[in-house]
Amino acid sequence: MTEGVIYDRGYRTYEGPRRGPAGARRAVYKEGLRRVFGLGRKARAKIFPWSMMVIGVMTAIVIVGLHFAIGQAVGDAAPVELPRYADLFDAYSFISLIFIAYAAPQLLIPDRTNGVLSVYFSRPLTVNGYLGAKTLAYASVVGALYIVPQVLLHLGLGMISRDGFFSHMTDNLDILWKVPVTTLGFVAMHGALAFFFSSFVKRPGIASASFLGTILGANIVADQFARVDFPGSRFLTLIAPDQHPRIIRDFLFDRQGFFPATEAGFDAWVSAIVIAVFTALAAWFVHSRYRRLA
Amino acid sequence: MNQVVEVSNLTHDYGEVVALRDLDLAVPPGITGLVGANGAGKTTMLRILLGLLHPTEGSVNVLGHDPEAEPLEVRARVGYMPEVGSLPLDQTAADFVAYTAELAGLPPREAKRRSSETLFLVGLEEERFRYLGDFSTGMRQRVKLAQAIVHDPDLVLLDEPASGLDPEGREQMLDLIKRLGQFDINVIVSSHVLPDIERTCDWVVMLDAGNLLRSAPLKGFEKDSTVLAEVLERPEELAAMIRQRGIEAVVDGLRVVVGPGEGLEDAIVGAAARLGTGLVRMTRGSASLEELFLVNGGKA
Repeated sequence: MTEGVIYDRGYRTYEGPRRGPAGARRAVYKEGLRRVFGLGRKARAKIFPWSMMVIGVMTAIVIVGLHFAIGQAVGDAAPVELPRYADLFDAYSFISLIFIAYAAPQLLIPDRTNGVLSVYFSRPLTVNGYLGAKTLAYASVVGALYIVPQVLLHLGLGMISRDGFFSHMTDNLDILWKVPVTTLGFVAMHGALAFFFSSFVKRPGIASASFLGTILGANIVADQFARVDFPGSRFLTLIAPDQHPRIIRDFLFDRQGFFPATEAGFDAWVSAIVIAVFTALAAWFVHSRYRRLA
Repeated sequence: MNQVVEVSNLTHDYGEVVALRDLDLAVPPGITGLVGANGAGKTTMLRILLGLLHPTEGSVNVLGHDPEAEPLEVRARVGYMPEVGSLPLDQTAADFVAYTAELAGLPPREAKRRSSETLFLVGLEEERFRYLGDFSTGMRQRVKLAQAIVHDPDLVLLDEPASGLDPEGREQMLDLIKRLGQFDINVIVSSHVLPDIERTCDWVVMLDAGNLLRSAPLKGFEKDSTVLAEVLERPEELAAMIRQRGIEAVVDGLRVVVGPGEGLEDAIVGAAARLGTGLVRMTRGSASLEELFLVNGGKA
C-alpha cells in the first residue's frame, strides 16, 4: 500500500523578471479584451459581443455574395450599384454603435463599481497607464469590428473579380489607407462619447442608453438647426457627433452625403477638427475623473 | 535596510480636517499593528505609504524609497489589501490573482503559477476556479490577501483584514497573517480590533484622531505593568483620587486601569479605603493593548 504524504508547499519567493509599468499596462490591455469578449466569465457574458462580431462578418459575406450572385446573373448590367467599402460602414453602423455602447461601459464601469481600482493603483500602474491601456483595448476591439469585415470584403471582391485577384488588389490600393482613416474617425468620435458616459455613470445599461440617446438625439437636433436660420445656428449643426466620421468617409471615398454640417456649408476638415476637439475634451474629463478616483 | 517605514513630521489634511498630525515614527521589519479607532488616520497613513496620497507636510520613506517621488518603485515592492470591496465578482479567483500579479509586472506564465501557489497558501486551492461572486466573505478576504502577496512583496499593507469575518474566519485570517511573518514578509496591519493586533504583531503604532500615541514593540508594552482594580461602586472617584498622586487611571465600567508606575497597589488600596468602597479584585500583570490604548488617551 502506498502511503500518502501531504506537504505544505509554504511560500516561495519570486526571483524572476519584473516588467514594471509596461507589464502592468499590458495586463490591463489584455484584461480589457477579455472582459469585452466575456473570456474567463460565465457563458452569458460571451453571447452579446460574439453575436455582434458574427453579424459584422456576416454583413461583409452577404455583400460579397450579392456581388457574386448578381455578377453571375447579369454581369456589369446590374440595375443598382452594389455596396462596396464606403457603404459597408453604413451597413453595420447600427451594429457598431450597439457594440460600442456595450464595450466602453464594460471596460470602465465594473472596475469602479467592484472597487478594484484601489488594488490596481496599488500596483506600479498610473492613471495614464490604466486609461491608455483601456483606450487601446477599446480601439482594438472596435477597430476590429470595422476592419475585419472590410478585409473580408476586400478579399472576397478580389476573388470574384473578373480582372483577377491581384489586379483587384493593385487597382484598390487606396483602400489600405482610406478604410483605416475612416475607421479611426468612427472609433475616436464614438469612443470619446462612450468613455465620457462610462466614466461618470455607475450602471452599464444607463451609460449605454446615454451614449445611444446622445448620438440619436443630437442627430435630430442638428438636423433642425440646419433648417432654421438665426445667428450662430450654422455652428450648432456641428453638435451631432455621428455625422463627422461619415463626412470624412464621404470626403475620402469621393461621395456626396447629406448631413446637417454639410448642409450648413462645413467640409471634412471641420469634421476632423470637431472629432479632435471632442476627443480631447472627453480625454480631459475622463482623466480628471480617474485622477480623483486613484 | 534598517527600517521598513520611516515617517518624519508627517501631516496630512483634507481641507479643514487634519487626518494625520506631525507624526514621527519608524517601523522595523516584522509584523506591525496600526491601531486606532475609526477615523484615527489609519487608511490615510496606508494610502500615503503607497504614494496614492501626498503628505501636506513632512517626509515618508518606504523600503528606501520616497513614495511621493518614486511611487511606482514603492508599489512594485508593496502589496495592499484594501478594507472594502476590491474584487471583480465575475472573475474566478485564479484569474483575478494572476491578473494582479501581472499588474505587479510578473510575466503571464509566472503570474498564473504564483496565483495557484498563493491560493493554495491561503487555503483556496480547491476553489480557485470558482467565480468570486460565489465566495463567502471569509473566502473573499483570503483572495484579497492572496492578491496582496502574489507578487512576493517586501511589505504588505493590510487594511482591516479581519473585517466582517465570523470568529472562525477571523482566527484563520490572523493565523495567515502570522504565517506571513514566518515567511519574512514585512506586514503592517491596520485594525481597530486590539486583540487581533495583540495576537499577530511584534510592533504597535497607536493613532488617535491623527495623533501618534505610541510606537513601540509589543513586548515593551508588557513592561508597562498596570493594575486592574474592580470596585463595587464609585470608580470615577477612585480614579480621580489616584490621578491626584500623579498616576494614570482610566475607568472602564466598574474597572479602573491604573498605571503604569510604582506603588500602584498601595495607591489603589489607600484610595479605596478613603472612599469607603469595596475592592472586588486587583490584578497586576501585563496590560492588554486595549488598556494601554485607554491609558494613552485613545478611544477604543
